Amino acid sequence: MSLSTLGYLARRAAQKERVRILYRRALRDTLNWAVHRHLFYQDASDLRERFEANKHVEDLDTIDHLIADAEAQYEKWRHPDPYIVPWAPGGTKFTRNPPPPSGIEIVYDYGKEENE
Amino acid sequence: MAASLRPAILRHIRLPVRPQGQPVLPSWLSSIRAMSGHGDDHLTREEVVDRVLDVVKSFPKVNPSKVTAEVHFQKDLGLDSLDVVEIVMALEEEFKLEIPDKEADKIDSCPLAIEYIANHPMAG
Repeated sequence: MSLSTLGYLARRAAQKERVRILYRRALRDTLNWAVHRHLFYQDASDLRERFEANKHVEDLDTIDHLIADAEAQYEKWRHPDPYIVPWAPGGTKFTRNPPPPSGIEIVYDYGKEENE
Repeated sequence: MAASLRPAILRHIRLPVRPQGQPVLPSWLSSIRAMSGHGDDHLTREEVVDRVLDVVKSFPKVNPSKVTAEVHFQKDLGLDSLDVVEIVMALEEEFKLEIPDKEADKIDSCPLAIEYIANHPMAG
């Protein structure tokens, strides 16, 4: 296999990964923008069609252009307040109610001993 | 005097007996603690396998009879790379996870997905 073929394959692989990650982010963002699930399904299939439309483009530079263009669009329309899973950084539960350090015992019935 | 007083006092004192070691939780409190999510409620591996297979089988482009715990999404199920992205996102929603993009990109088969989710401390 010649060097140029290797270079071509490496560039193709990098482009494919960029497209996968872009599609993943765009799909997640579509879900963020959708107010209801049933609206999301339509939006998601529209998004998929936009990706499928350029499926058969062969020229490497054109592909790079298309990807850069799509990434710019994604950045422009990113949701300002996306959904974040509660425990993840930025989520509502992040660092809230952490487990107590080892060696410290919680007395759950503190102050209620007399009433029993 | 003290010797006769001692049994008389002891007969009137009542102390609640309580097992040493574990604190006794009122029932309402234990239900609250269960929701605090300290990550100690791990999923069993069988449950992870079941739910992963359910998600993959319910994907529209997949023939459910072909799905087993060993399938590769693209080679065995005939999906393309964007379908795999959709499946991984469905898995994230099923298990309430947030997988970083680079790691999610590596998940391309059922065994990998099961391995990743079963080892994730926050999978629920």
